[in-house]
Amino acid sequence: MKQPLIVIEAAATGYNSEVVLRDVGLTVYPDDFIGIIGPNGGGKTTLVKLILGLQPLFSGKVLFPSGKPRMGYLPQASQVDRSFPITVKELISSGMKSRNTLIPYLNAGQKQRLEEMIREAGLQRYANKPIGELSGGQLQKALLCRALIDDPQLLILDEPNTHVDKQFEQELYRWLKRLNQQMAILLVSHDIGTISPLIKSIACVNETLHYHPSNQISEEVLKVYHCPVDVIAHGPVPHRVLKSHDHE
Amino acid sequence: MSDAFSIFQYQFFQHALAAAILTSVIAAMVGTYIVSRKIVFIGGGITHASFGGIGLAFYMGLNPFLGAAVFGVITALAIEWISQNGRVREDSAIAILWSLGMALGIIFVFMTPGYTPNLMSFLFGSILTVGRAEIYVLLVFAMLLMLLFALFYRPILFTAFDPEFARTKGIPVSRYRYMMSVVMALAIVLSIRTVGIILVLSMFTIPQITAMLFTRNFYRIMPLAAMWGIIGSVAGIMGAYLLDIPTSAAIIFFLTLQFLVIKIIMIIRNALIRNKG
Repeated sequence: MKQPLIVIEAAATGYNSEVVLRDVGLTVYPDDFIGIIGPNGGGKTTLVKLILGLQPLFSGKVLFPSGKPRMGYLPQASQVDRSFPITVKELISSGMKSRNTLIPYLNAGQKQRLEEMIREAGLQRYANKPIGELSGGQLQKALLCRALIDDPQLLILDEPNTHVDKQFEQELYRWLKRLNQQMAILLVSHDIGTISPLIKSIACVNETLHYHPSNQISEEVLKVYHCPVDVIAHGPVPHRVLKSHDHE
Repeated sequence: MSDAFSIFQYQFFQHALAAAILTSVIAAMVGTYIVSRKIVFIGGGITHASFGGIGLAFYMGLNPFLGAAVFGVITALAIEWISQNGRVREDSAIAILWSLGMALGIIFVFMTPGYTPNLMSFLFGSILTVGRAEIYVLLVFAMLLMLLFALFYRPILFTAFDPEFARTKGIPVSRYRYMMSVVMALAIVLSIRTVGIILVLSMFTIPQITAMLFTRNFYRIMPLAAMWGIIGSVAGIMGAYLLDIPTSAAIIFFLTLQFLVIKIIMIIRNALIRNKG
């Protein structure tokens, strides 16, 4: 049996004293690819922030059975201030865990890794440009590089496919498929349909969490858990079509 | 014209120039942080709250800058605390501290027996009366700031840009934010001597937005803002002398004029390039 990366047991969290998520249970294994779905305001981002250690734990447990894993985080695009005067290179390098912040500059190995990452993402032309000059897709690429540069064991992506074009979306899926061979992935999306061929299991978050150990999810299950997502449909490319349904 | 330059031989004028240059350097570094984080309003809160400290120091017969520094630092730390933990809206809290500081200042000055001749110099600055000791204080602070940015450039930048992400990477975000709050407060209070409470914030914003017309790189904005700050404030001091107008107001006027002229040149240049294309 594989050792899980993260075990969450009966966890509750929220903001100030208001509980947003309660009784959450989730186990993340090293090769998982979990799609986190649920209605707006249901607590999807709060859940990933809890895992990242950015949210206080009101009750329950968040355990790391084999030590705290290295985590790469891609926040929602709206959380990034595109007018901030930071270069693409600086942005990506901020993903390197600073073991000693007293050393202000990158060492030779880190510099090499940074160059590799920039090359791999095809961002060489923009390396020394401010992030404000990037397109939506390019910025997401740079943010993904920032999340990946520290070789994470768990990659957490919060709505990576908003404000990006179709071309980048396809490229993102190819990346994620390859990355999932090396790391666990948690992907928050309101639009799970387009990305679901990659996903191995689904967590529906709406004040609490319901885990579905496959990516096949029936309308019946969705109705029970009040998740406004799609049902499976056939088409020329593997995809699912979103279908909203009422929830209480 | 030789008359205009004869002023350089006077010590008070040399001191004024040194103060203007050092204030520009200090404001360039801290102002880049303020403008990048879009927290100019916090700067305003710190500046005006420090007036309470000036008033209290007058009342108690202490050094007014000491009072300003204490009030400024406490206000800056309080705002950062509210921003991190508060259940009060940050902008409302800043407004309260802003006006409370001014109110306390007015009350203490009113209660101070006799006339308080220096009061106007705190409100509007008095760069022409800066002494040697004050220049040394500015010099030491400017050097400490350079050292701070040299050592902690990356964490300062990362905690300013995306504090949540920085926290996931193990950077002690809260510690850096509080440190920068203290730095902001001290930089602002030390700069009050040059242009006064009413106008000091422009030293922390106008050179930066002028520099940002040329670059959007934090690292490059700092020296460029220092350069525009120095040019604008030296022009302001000279202009004030030649036109016989208040120095602090002339500095701000020249800094703004400089920004507008460069901005207009850039607009015209871009229009010409577009037309050619």
